Parts: sequence; structure tokens; C-alpha cells
Amino acid sequence: MAQLVTQPRSGARYGVGRHWSRYRAGYLFLAPSVILYAMFMIYPFFQSIYLSFTDWNGVGEIGDFVGLQNYREMIRDDLLWQSLGHNAIWVVLGTIGPLILGLALAMLLWRQPKGFTLFRTVYFLPQVLSPVIIAIVWGWVYNPVFGLLNEGLDAIGLETISRGWLGDSSTALYAVLVAAIWAETGFVFVVFLAGLQSVSRDLLEAATLDGANAWQRLKDVTIPQLSNVITVITALLLIGGFSVFDIIFVMTGGGPNHSTEVIATYTYTEAFVQNRAGYSATLSLILTVISLVASVVFIRFRERGAQ
Amino acid sequence: MATPAAAQERPSYGTGGRRSRFRPGWSLMQYGLLTFFLLVFLVPFIWIWSSAFKESREIARDPFGLPATLRWDNLQEAWTTGQFDRYMGNTVIYCAAIVTGVVVLSCMAGYALALLPLPARGPILVVFLLGLMVPFQSVMIPIYYFLQDLNLLGTYWAFIIPGIALRLSFGIFLMRGFFRGLPPELADAARLDGANEWQTFRQVMLPLSVPGIATLVVLQFINTWNAFLMPLVFVQRDELRPVALGTLFFFGRFTADRGLIAAGVTISMLPMIVIFLLLQRRFIEGITAGALKS
Repeated sequence: MAQLVTQPRSGARYGVGRHWSRYRAGYLFLAPSVILYAMFMIYPFFQSIYLSFTDWNGVGEIGDFVGLQNYREMIRDDLLWQSLGHNAIWVVLGTIGPLILGLALAMLLWRQPKGFTLFRTVYFLPQVLSPVIIAIVWGWVYNPVFGLLNEGLDAIGLETISRGWLGDSSTALYAVLVAAIWAETGFVFVVFLAGLQSVSRDLLEAATLDGANAWQRLKDVTIPQLSNVITVITALLLIGGFSVFDIIFVMTGGGPNHSTEVIATYTYTEAFVQNRAGYSATLSLILTVISLVASVVFIRFRERGAQ
Repeated sequence: MATPAAAQERPSYGTGGRRSRFRPGWSLMQYGLLTFFLLVFLVPFIWIWSSAFKESREIARDPFGLPATLRWDNLQEAWTTGQFDRYMGNTVIYCAAIVTGVVVLSCMAGYALALLPLPARGPILVVFLLGLMVPFQSVMIPIYYFLQDLNLLGTYWAFIIPGIALRLSFGIFLMRGFFRGLPPELADAARLDGANEWQTFRQVMLPLSVPGIATLVVLQFINTWNAFLMPLVFVQRDELRPVALGTLFFFGRFTADRGLIAAGVTISMLPMIVIFLLLQRRFIEGITAGALKS
């Protein structure tokens, strides 16, 4: 019994019984996960695809089959394109910002100077907190009446700049983005800190002896050795950036006047505020396609890097 | 220009550890920058924490000073009116159930996909991996109505079951990678000694995978404790809300009372900060490993 698994496949007959006894353990170990995953991942995903061809309002029987109507509406939907534009800004700045800040902080703490643990703990702290807390804290920072930012600007004589950062369509997206970069930097920082452990100090010293300055050492010696880590972080930030929801939803809810609307907040509103389950499913599939493309590009890059 | 040549001449990957010459100017600038960022990350929190200990009048008069005396009134009031005891209890239930579920199922499935004979192992793995690329938004609407049909929407299960199911992809991937790193001869030896597959897994292979499990526990714990969108959509009744969601509704209800809001936010972040300070290394190692192995 116990050795059936390792037994070589001898007998000529290969029936159901043999199949079962050979693979039984594997099936049983896998079964609970497969059942749960099929019910709450695979089935809902195909259901979403189906819903995207209906005009269901989320109540009662699933609505009429409307063919490609949702997709046609989507192409003409200015709000969607506006949201995707915000996603694009978010992804670019929200990736570059933490990458640069995280690398800078990791370099500063590379040699584990005195106070290393204190600095690392504080830089990483926002990472363990809920986005709701980050959003409320930063909502206070930006508050037009008593916010830290405006008070600070007033104190150094720049009161002309102060404003309701989140209530102003021209600044709201960037204000939320700064909060997000602030929260994300700690993650990038610790991953870089781990990556720097495998960067060869001998190479750096050799480069110094050869007369390379600090910038050249960073650009030609350190960063090439971190390229794998950079690819991983970039991919995680990119995929996270396309589906960003929490911090925007809590800080601005997509407003004012849709100036911080991204595809995830738009999908949420269509689904649970407008009750347009069909159209919302269509929007969510766009998000999936973008994530898939981003992941595939990432995997390609990684394979190329590995060669 | 000289650097690539140097790279070729000296491919040794020494462990380093040698400190470069002491340069006071650099060191001063380094600490200046480190302290500047320390303040950037800390000041917003200190501001909130100190507001939590102030009366409303004191906040209005001196919003940025440290509290003159530590007043616990706000914290007490927030704790009771904000029902934080209930929210914390709920969060503990969700974390216990989801972390356990994800870890148990991921270990079993990851083990099967790594070391047990299976037909179509590759395709099964690919189907699970695709789940990593499907954002929650793409499945939330059907899951919501599915939970409604199952009459689970008003129960703890509405967050627990999808919470486990949607994290299986990551967990299975992580644990499969871990089990593949173990020598399969160990399992064969246990089988020769008469252990069945379950005993081999439970008594030989699982104890060896504790570091992998620790990573998974840390990541799932942080994710579940801080989860927002999933409970926002699936947890309909106030008395079942986890603390992140409860904090948001608390914030919405008392926006005008700054002392109370600050106290609520402080209470809400306190458990995670304490746990983080106690288990710092595990947290940071877990997050790093989770990022680099995915």
C-alpha cells in the first residue's frame, strides 16, 4: 500500500484502478485546493466574462444577452480612458518614486551603520499598516484647515501655495500618489537591502582603485548586480499600480470630479453604486488583460535577464 | 570605463565586511539624510498619536505640540463608541481562519505538485499560476452574488472562504518552490520505512519546511489583518467588520471630533505595530522572501 507510489509501472494493463492507486495520494492532497479554487476563482472568472455580455443590474435573474454592446460602450467611454490615463501616471510615478527612494535608503544603510535597526524599523513601518490608516493619516496631512502640509508651508512663508490638496482637481492625484509612494518605499527599501547583500564589495573597491567616482560605481557596478531585484520590484509595483484601489478610495473616492478615478475605483462604482454588474464586469476584464500583459512582459524580461 | 574590465578581472564574490576609510564629511551627510527620512516617516504618526492624548481645545490651540498631559479619555471613548473590541475580535477570527486555511491547503497542494506523482502536473500548475495575474476586481462581482446564493453574505464565512481561495495561488506557488528544494530521497526513505503518504508528508517533509511556512504565515497575516476591499464588498453587517473597515466607518462617523478620530486611528494601528516590533526580523525576512521568490 504505502509503497505503491514508488513502485515502477510494470503490468501491461493500465486501467482506472491502477491510475487511482498510482495517483491517489496526489489527488487527495490537491483536492481541497482545487475545489475551493474552482468555486471561488475559476467559476467566478468565467462568470465575469459571461456577465460582460449582459446588461445585468445585479438584481434578480441575470439580464439579457446584449452581445458586444458593453464593449462598444467601453470604447466610447471617456471616463474609462480618463481613468486609464490616471493609472498610467500612477504606474510610472508610483514605480519610479519608490525605486529611487528605496534604493537610496538601502544604500545609506548598506554598511549597517549605528542605529541601523531603528532606521530600518521606522522606514518599514507604513508597510505593516492598513491602507485605511495610511489614507486617514495623509488625509489629515493634506487637510486644508489644520493639515500638517499647509501649516508647514505657512511657517516657511509659502502660504500662497497652500490649498486643499485633495479637493483641488489639479493636485488630488499627485497628493494621493505621494502618500502611496511614502507607504510603498519601505517595501522596496527592505528588498533592496537584501539584494545589496549579494553585491560584491571587492568589485566596488576595484572600481574605486581604477578611479571610478561614486556615480560611476553606482551606475556600472552596483545597479547591474541588482538588475534581478530591480526587475522583480518593478513588476510587483507595476501590477499593483494597475489595480490600485484602497488608498484612493479612502482618500478621495475617485474625486473630485473624477480627477483621481482609476480603473479599479471606476469598476467598483459601476458595480456597487450604479448597480451595473454587466458593464462593471467588462471593465474588470480590461484590468485583467492589462495585468496579464504586464505579467507576460515581465516574465519575458526575466527570462532574457536569466540567459 | 575601467569598471567592466575590473569586473572581468576580479570575479570573486567576497563577503566584504571591510569598512572603507572613515570619512567624517560623508558620515555626517549620511546621518543627516537618514534622520531627515526618519522624520518624514515618523512625524505624521507622532502627530496623530499626540493628538489622541489631547482635549479638543488643546488640539485647536496647539495642534502640533506634544500633549501637555497624557489624557486617556479620547482613547477610552474611542474604544467603546468605536466598538474596537468587537472589530479586533473579528479581525483575530478572520486572521486565524484565513491564515490557517491558506497555510494548510497550500502546503498540501504545494507538496503534491512538487513531489507526488500526478498526471497533468504542468497544466494544473499553470491554472493555479494564472490566478496570480487575475486581479480581485475581475472576480468580486460573481463571488458576491455566489455568496448571496449560498446565504453566506451575513456571516464570517463571506470573507473567510474567498479570503482563502483567492490566496491559494500565491501560497501553492511559494510552498511548491520550497518543497522542490528539499531532497526527495528523504520522502522515499520514509516510505521504505512503511510510512504512508500522509505520514511522510506530516512527519518528515512538513517539519523541514518550517522556514517556508513562516514566510507564508507572515505574509498572509499582514494581508488579512489589513485587508480592505474584500471585506468592504463581502462583509455587510457592521458587527462582523474587521478592524481596517471598522476604522473607516468610525472615521466617517466622527470626522468633526479630531481627538476622537486620532484616538481611533491610534488604537487601530497599535496591535500591528506591537506585533511588528516583536517579530521584526520575521516580518522583514518574510516580506523579502515573498517578493524575491514570486
